[in-house]
Amino acid sequence: MQILILLLQIAMVMAIVLLHVAYLTYFERKIIGHMQVRMGPMRVGWHGLLQPIADGIKSFFKEDIIPQQADKPLFLAAPIICLVTMLAALAVLPFAEGWVLADINIGLLFIFAMSSLASYGIILAGWASNSKYTFLGGMRSMAQVISYEIPMGLSLVGVMMLSGSLNLSEIVAAQGTSIFSIYLFPQIIGFFVFFIAMLAETNRVPFDLPEAETELVSGYITEYSGMRYAMFFMAEYIGMMILASIGTVCFLGGWNGPFVIPFFPPFWFILKVYGFLFVFIWIRATLPRYRYDQLMAIGWKLLIPLALLNIFLTGLFKALVH
Amino acid sequence: MKVQYKAKRNLLQTILQVEILQGLALTLRKLFSRPITRQYPDEKPPMYAGFRGQHALVRDPLTNASKCIGCMRCATVCPSRCIHIKTHPGDSGQRLIDQYAIDVLRCVFCGYCVEVCPVGAITMTEVFEYASYDREAIYFDQEILLANWDRFLEQTGYDDTYVNPFWRPRGTLESRLAAAMRRDVPADWTIEGQFVGTKVRQPPASKPITDTEAAHA
Repeated sequence: MQILILLLQIAMVMAIVLLHVAYLTYFERKIIGHMQVRMGPMRVGWHGLLQPIADGIKSFFKEDIIPQQADKPLFLAAPIICLVTMLAALAVLPFAEGWVLADINIGLLFIFAMSSLASYGIILAGWASNSKYTFLGGMRSMAQVISYEIPMGLSLVGVMMLSGSLNLSEIVAAQGTSIFSIYLFPQIIGFFVFFIAMLAETNRVPFDLPEAETELVSGYITEYSGMRYAMFFMAEYIGMMILASIGTVCFLGGWNGPFVIPFFPPFWFILKVYGFLFVFIWIRATLPRYRYDQLMAIGWKLLIPLALLNIFLTGLFKALVH
Repeated sequence: MKVQYKAKRNLLQTILQVEILQGLALTLRKLFSRPITRQYPDEKPPMYAGFRGQHALVRDPLTNASKCIGCMRCATVCPSRCIHIKTHPGDSGQRLIDQYAIDVLRCVFCGYCVEVCPVGAITMTEVFEYASYDREAIYFDQEILLANWDRFLEQTGYDDTYVNPFWRPRGTLESRLAAAMRRDVPADWTIEGQFVGTKVRQPPASKPITDTEAAHA
């Protein structure tokens, strides 16, 4: 019986998240369109509201092309690895008090593990397609993810030190309900490092070098088509949402807000995640792409020292207070 | 000489990344501005005089037929050789048109045929939506070209006083036009209202301009 309820909950979370993915693409196109003084999708449904559904149906019925020289098993597995690991990371996210599928004690570590695994999918896709562009995209992704996993992990060490836990629900609880007690203020350096590493982790502008359509056609997804392409797309957008959720949980106080919304406890959590996603899109509409050596320099020479400094300052603060 | 490519930033500006914040402010401001998109099939673009659209043969209200006299000038001037005319001599020596056809798929829409026509028989209308799935439908013979004219007048509400700017190329004196082309035109099409390039060609104020002067100028 309990398993049935859990399965139902999993299905609900997946359905809601996938619907969010669909409409995130819509809002991205709309917002970027309006920022460029265009309108974005307008033809399918009222103001293009049915566009993501039309896109979904289209990609579902498209021909699934597999290159002749591709490494077939890996080529087929890569998008599944990407999507499954990203979906698995959803399990530990606390949407509200007690609204979590798996309340495990290593929640933060689990999410890091899953997002690192997802980059395996990207690298395998780049390798298995047997094409120069995808291979370059995969290589870039590998280097980028390795460079930015480190500052990202280090930036969250400060949060772990302050809350004394890796469990996401406990991190939220440790921040208290007041707006002034969230970790954004004591961990402002950590937040800065986390935010930049978050953009790089999700391969978003200005760090979208693995996809870099002006240089690499479409990077590691060049040879993919139809539903498999859509799976990479979904994985990318779920990754955005997961990292936005981590940012919300670790720095913005999770589901706590100025006042309690009755009947819908995750209200503030969702609002904060939407805020993060808007900033993602906003930055995409504004910034050009970094050069590759600049990307590496920012990761290794700026973010890692900053994150270490943040750990040092947090430790000093804790030692002095106690 | 030391060239300063970037404006100098102080430490605070470097830490806060002011340029990025300026860029973000700009895009946020544009988010709330009015889009300039024209929703094309619903909203038609405004058409201006002299638009080189679908070809038409002007229907002469007196004879209810084409004004064409079969002089072959349009077929001669056409750079893509897409106008096909066949004539035969009539009783009193005039040329009668057997065939007047425009292969629009070859046309480059330069408008020379309209400019060169001494009687204003051919024109380019403001119609631009006539794409088709078969080539035959865009091979215009005389009947189709006359029908194009009728449809153009009907759709746009022009009457027989319609004048095309190509019938009177810029800077042409009225006395240099063929008799059939001396028609009433808006004031800005006359030589006083016209300029070529950036320099306004003003006729000398003291004496009225003559044909020989215009030819030398």
